Amino acid sequence: MNRNLARVVATLLGALAVVLPALAGAYPLQVARNVMLYMALAITWDMLLRSGQISFGIAGLFGLGAYASILGVIRAGMPAWASIPFAAAFSALAALLIGYLILRLRGMYFSIVTLALAEIFRIVIHNLHDFTGGPEGIVAPAGVIFGGSASGLYWLALVGLAVALGASIWFEKSKFHFALTAIRDNEIAASSSGVDIFRWLLATFVITSGIQGLLGGIFVQSYGFATPDSVFSADFTLLPLAMALLGGIHGTVGPIMGAVLLGVASEWLKLQMPYGHLVVYGIIIIIVILFMPRGLYGLARKMARPAEGRAE
Amino acid sequence: MAMKRRATILAALSAAATILILLWKPSVINNGIQQAGLYAAIAIPMGLVLGIVHIVNLAHGEFMMVAAYATYFACRATGMDPLLAVLPSAAVTAAFGWVVFKLTIKRALKAPELNQLILTFGIAIALTQAVNILFTSQTFKLQLDYVSASIDIGEDTFPVWSYVFVAFAILYAAGLKLFLTRTTIGKAALAVGQNPKGAAIVGIDVNRVYGLVFALALALVGAMGALFLTKQSIFPSVGSPYTMKSFCLVAVAGIGNIPGILGASLLLGISEQVLRGFRDTRAWADIVFFVLIIAVILGRSIKWRKS
Amino acid sequence: MRKALALLAIALIAIPAFAQTGGTIKIGGIWTLSDITGKQGSAAALLAVEEINKAGGVNGKMLELIIADDEGKADKAAAAVEKLATVDKVEAFIGGMASGAEVGKIPAYAKYNKVVVATGAASSAIVEKALGPSPGSDYYFHLHPWDYNQGASYAEGWDAIQKKYPSIKIKKIFLAYEEGAFGKSSWDATKLLFGSDKRYTVDGAPFKSALLGGGDYSAVLEAAKDFKPDLFLWAGYDADALPMLEQSKAIKFTPKIYLGAPPGWPIGFGSSKLSKNVMLYGMWSPSMNDTNPASKKFYDAYVKKYREEPATYFALLAYDAVMILADGIRVAGTTETAALVKALEATKYASPLGETITFKPSNIIKHQGITRQKILQWQNGFQEVLWPFEAATAAPVFPFPAWK
Repeated sequence: MNRNLARVVATLLGALAVVLPALAGAYPLQVARNVMLYMALAITWDMLLRSGQISFGIAGLFGLGAYASILGVIRAGMPAWASIPFAAAFSALAALLIGYLILRLRGMYFSIVTLALAEIFRIVIHNLHDFTGGPEGIVAPAGVIFGGSASGLYWLALVGLAVALGASIWFEKSKFHFALTAIRDNEIAASSSGVDIFRWLLATFVITSGIQGLLGGIFVQSYGFATPDSVFSADFTLLPLAMALLGGIHGTVGPIMGAVLLGVASEWLKLQMPYGHLVVYGIIIIIVILFMPRGLYGLARKMARPAEGRAE
Repeated sequence: MAMKRRATILAALSAAATILILLWKPSVINNGIQQAGLYAAIAIPMGLVLGIVHIVNLAHGEFMMVAAYATYFACRATGMDPLLAVLPSAAVTAAFGWVVFKLTIKRALKAPELNQLILTFGIAIALTQAVNILFTSQTFKLQLDYVSASIDIGEDTFPVWSYVFVAFAILYAAGLKLFLTRTTIGKAALAVGQNPKGAAIVGIDVNRVYGLVFALALALVGAMGALFLTKQSIFPSVGSPYTMKSFCLVAVAGIGNIPGILGASLLLGISEQVLRGFRDTRAWADIVFFVLIIAVILGRSIKWRKS
Repeated sequence: MRKALALLAIALIAIPAFAQTGGTIKIGGIWTLSDITGKQGSAAALLAVEEINKAGGVNGKMLELIIADDEGKADKAAAAVEKLATVDKVEAFIGGMASGAEVGKIPAYAKYNKVVVATGAASSAIVEKALGPSPGSDYYFHLHPWDYNQGASYAEGWDAIQKKYPSIKIKKIFLAYEEGAFGKSSWDATKLLFGSDKRYTVDGAPFKSALLGGGDYSAVLEAAKDFKPDLFLWAGYDADALPMLEQSKAIKFTPKIYLGAPPGWPIGFGSSKLSKNVMLYGMWSPSMNDTNPASKKFYDAYVKKYREEPATYFALLAYDAVMILADGIRVAGTTETAALVKALEATKYASPLGETITFKPSNIIKHQGITRQKILQWQNGFQEVLWPFEAATAAPVFPFPAWK
C-alpha cells in the first residue's frame, strides 16, 4: 500500500518536472532551477553520509567543477556542452587523488580535512590570476549556454538532478546500500565480514564528487561566469547539508523534501518580507530541527506507521 | 626514549627557526604571537564545548558578535571603557547562552549528532540577520588610544596591545585546566566528556553539566567579545570567519586538548606572518592554515595507525 | 508600526490618484537589501518615485517601484529579474551593487531587452565583459564608474591638485589593497595609470579585509613604511578604516598623504581623532549641501522621510536612476526600448552628486554615465571635497599630521 503510494507520488512529481516548462512562467522555472541544483547537491552529500562520512567539502568540488568547465571553454576551446561532463570528470579525478589520502580519516577529522581542501582549491584559483581570472572572476565570451533559453536551462538543471537521483536510487538498490550501511553501523564487523571498506568509500566519494563537479559545470554554464567567491561560496556546503537534515538523511526522499522546503521557503519569504526574510529562514531551520529530529520524511513515515516508527 | 629525543630535536629546530626569523624580521614574531593570541582565545571556548558537550557550535563566532554589539552600545551609552565591560559581558553572554541552550540545544542532544550542527547553523543565521535588521550592515568601532600602544627598540617600533589576547588565551587555557582537574564540577564535566553514559550511571546529571559547560564557554566568548571590540570593527557577519578558524584550530590540536590550541594557534599565527613578510608569498598566507590542518591531521592518523 | 500606518496612508491616498490618471508605469528595483547600500538605495529610489508622483507623475501616469532582493548572489539575482519581468511585468529596471550578483542578472536582462539603469557593479572584468559591445548591450545604462574609470580619474585629480598646490609633491605611491575582487581591480588600475609613465613609483601589497575575517594589517603597513610613500592609499572596506589607522599609528607610519578608498565609512568615523586630515575617494558628501542645491534638496528630503543620513553615495545613485529614467520616459512618451534608449542617450541630468550626468561609450558598452570620482578629505569631522575643483568645498590640508 505504502510502496504503491510512494510510487504514485514519485511518478506524479516526475511528470510535473517534465511538463513544468510548458505550464509555468520564467520565474517559477528559474526558482525550480535553483531548487533542483541544491536538491542534487543535498542528495550527493547524503549518499556519502550513508557510510557515516560527513563531508564539509561540497563547495570545493562544486567550485572545482565550475572552474574546470569555464576554463575548459575559454582556455581549451571546448564547446559549452562538452565542458559539463569534463567538469564531472575533473572533480571525480580530483576526488580519486585526495580520496586515497583522506578516506582513512573518520568523524570530525574527515569533515575538517574536506573543509580545508575546499578552501585550498578556492585560494589556488584566487591566486592564479593569469589562468583563472583571479578574484575578479572570468566570463565565458560566448555567454550563457543555449543562448539563455529558459526552457533549455531548465532541462539542463533537470538533467543534473536526474543524474544525482539516478545515482542515489542505484545506491539504494545495489550492493552499495549494504556496504555503506554496514560501514556506518559497525566498521569493524563490516571489515571482518569481508567488506573492503576503503574501496567502497573511495567509489562513493569519487561518484558523489563527480556529480558535484557536474553540477558546478551546469551552474557556471547557466550564468556564463565564475568568481571564486560565487562558486566556492559556503552556501553550497551548508545549504545542501541543512536541506538533507531537515528532510531526513540516509535516503533519496529526505533531501528532496528538505530542498523543496528550504528552496521554496526562501523565495516565498522574500516576497512576503523583502527586508529581513533571512531571520525567519534561520528560525525555520531551528524549529524544523527541534520538532522533527528525523526530518520531514522521518515525521511522515512515523505518522504513516506509528508503531514501527517508534521501534526504529 | 625515542619520543623524547624526537621532541628535543623538534624543540631545537623550532627555537633555531624562531631565532633566524627574529634576526631577519623581528616584527614577524611579535605580530605572529599577538595574532595567535587572538585566534587561541576565541578557539578555546569552542574546544571546551566540542570536547565535553560534543557539538560543533556553528554559532560560536555569532555569540561573540552579539557580545561585542552589546558591549558597544553599553559603552556608548555610559562612556565606559570596553575593558571594564569584560566581566559584565561575560556574565550576560553566559546567561544568554544558557537560555539558548535550554530552549534549543538541550532538546536536540538526544537527536542524531548532525542535528545539533544544523541547529547551531540556524541560530547563527538568525543572530546575524537579527543584528543586521536592528543595526544595518554598517560597521561600528570604538576609538581607543591605548590600542596603538607600542614599544621602541632601536630603530623599530613594535605594537604591543594585542598581547592582551595572548594573556587571555593563556589565562583561559590554564584556568580551564585547573577547573577540569581540581574542582568537583570540573571533574564531573571531564567525566561526562569522556563517557556520558558512564557518568550518568555514577549519578552525574549529564544535561546539567552540559548546560553549565556551555554557559561557561559562552562566558569566555562574551569576555572576548568585549576585548575584540577594542581592536576591531564590528558588523553583523564579523563572527562567522572566527567560527571556521576556531573549528580548524580545535581539530589541529585534537579534540579535548585545550592547551594544544595554544600551540596550534602559535604555529598558525607565526607561519601566516612569515608568508606575509615576503613579496612573492604574501598572497598565499591564507593557504598555510589549511595546509597545516591537513598535514597535522594526516600525520597524526598515520602515527595512530602505526601504533 | 508608525511606518506601517504611514505606508497605509500613502497607499490610500495613492489609489484614487492611480484611478484618475489611468495606469501606472512599473519599475523594478533590485538590490542586496540586507546591505546598507541596498537598504538605503531602495529607500532613496522610493523617495524619488514619491517626489515624481507628487508632482503629477510621468506623462499623466504614476510611477510604481517594485523592489526585489538579490541577496548578493547570482542565482537569486536572476530569479529577481525573472519575477519582476514576468510576474510584476515591470517596464524598466534599476538597481545593482555587487558585481558578482549583477553578472547573474545580465542573461535575463538581455532576454527581456528592457531598459536598465544600473546603480552599481564596477567590475569591468566580469560585468562589462558579460554585457558585451553595442548594440547587444544598448539597453544597459551604467551610472557608476567602471574600475578603470575610477583609476583614470584619480590620476587626473592628483595631477590637477599638484598643479594647483605646488607644495604638494607626489613621487612614490603605495597601495594597500584588500585581496578580493575590489582591491585587486584597484591595484590593476593604479599600477596601469600611475605606474606606466615614469613620473610615479608605485608599489603595493594585499591584505585580508576585516570584512572577510582579516583585520591584521601589520605586514602590509610595514611594507608600506619601508617604501616611504608620499601617498599611501588603501582600498578596502569600512571595517578596515579605523583599525588600519590605529595600527599605522602603533608602528609610527606617517605618510604625507593618508588616503582611504572604501565604498563607505564606519558610523562616527569623523568624530574619531584619528580621522583628522585623512583623505578619501568618493562621489558625494553631505558637505556638498553648502554649494550644491540639488544635493541639499535630496539630503533634506531623505533625512525628513527616513530620519537617518544617507550613509553612502549609492543612495544618491539610486535616486538619480529613477529621476533619469523618468525624464527619459517623459521625452520618449513610452517605455518601449528603442525609443526610450534614444531619449536616454540625450540625458543631461544635474545630479545631486555635483555633476551633470550624460551617457558616453566606455571601453566596451555604449552607455556609461559617471566616469569621475572625487578626492575628498576629512576636515574637522566632515568630508570636504578637494577635487574636482568646480565641486570643491575646501582646500587640502597637507601634509597629513604626524601621530601624537
